[in-house]
Amino acid sequence: MSYKNYKIVRIFIAMFMAMTVSIAISVENVLLAVSAIGIGMISIFLIKKNVKAVLVDEMIKNIAGKSALIAYSITVPALAVLSLVFMFPNFNSEGSYLYNLGIIFSYIALFNMAIYSLAYYYYQKKYGRDNK
Amino acid sequence: MAEIINNIKILRAERSLTQEDLADKVEVTRQTIIAIEKSKYVPSLELAFKICKVFDKKIEEIFKTI
Repeated sequence: MSYKNYKIVRIFIAMFMAMTVSIAISVENVLLAVSAIGIGMISIFLIKKNVKAVLVDEMIKNIAGKSALIAYSITVPALAVLSLVFMFPNFNSEGSYLYNLGIIFSYIALFNMAIYSLAYYYYQKKYGRDNK
Repeated sequence: MAEIINNIKILRAERSLTQEDLADKVEVTRQTIIAIEKSKYVPSLELAFKICKVFDKKIEEIFKTI
């Protein structure tokens, strides 16, 4: 399959997913929405395998890496600050909506940091870490 | 840091190769070839050697630092 055809098919799959998810929301059917997303993702994965053109190369990976670092550097401190903003004024009212929101934000920030650290450790090891 | 320039555009024109042709030969996207030609992106050593192989030139004949 050529890259041009792949782009067209991808648009059709996205349209199918959007339509099915909207119908699922209007009829309040979670299973339909989940299966539409699942079918869409599997279809794109299978079609991607048959595309002969290069979809991802070193420059795209380079750009993705830099963008991911920027996204991480912004998201984690923002989540940490938000969690503090929500938690500190509500310390006396533990279990309140805002306090719980603060806890969720802090856990998301920690989860992000854990994934980043694991990935960083993995790649550092892969490319030869200095063990001195 | 020294800027790395290249003469890929000239070599490509000499051989009547399009950006698409070169991209296919070295297994990258056309966008990457455009960025390399404009010296906006410095290719990896692997890609640089692939480009050299296509043009049958030495690496220093294609890439230069200024």
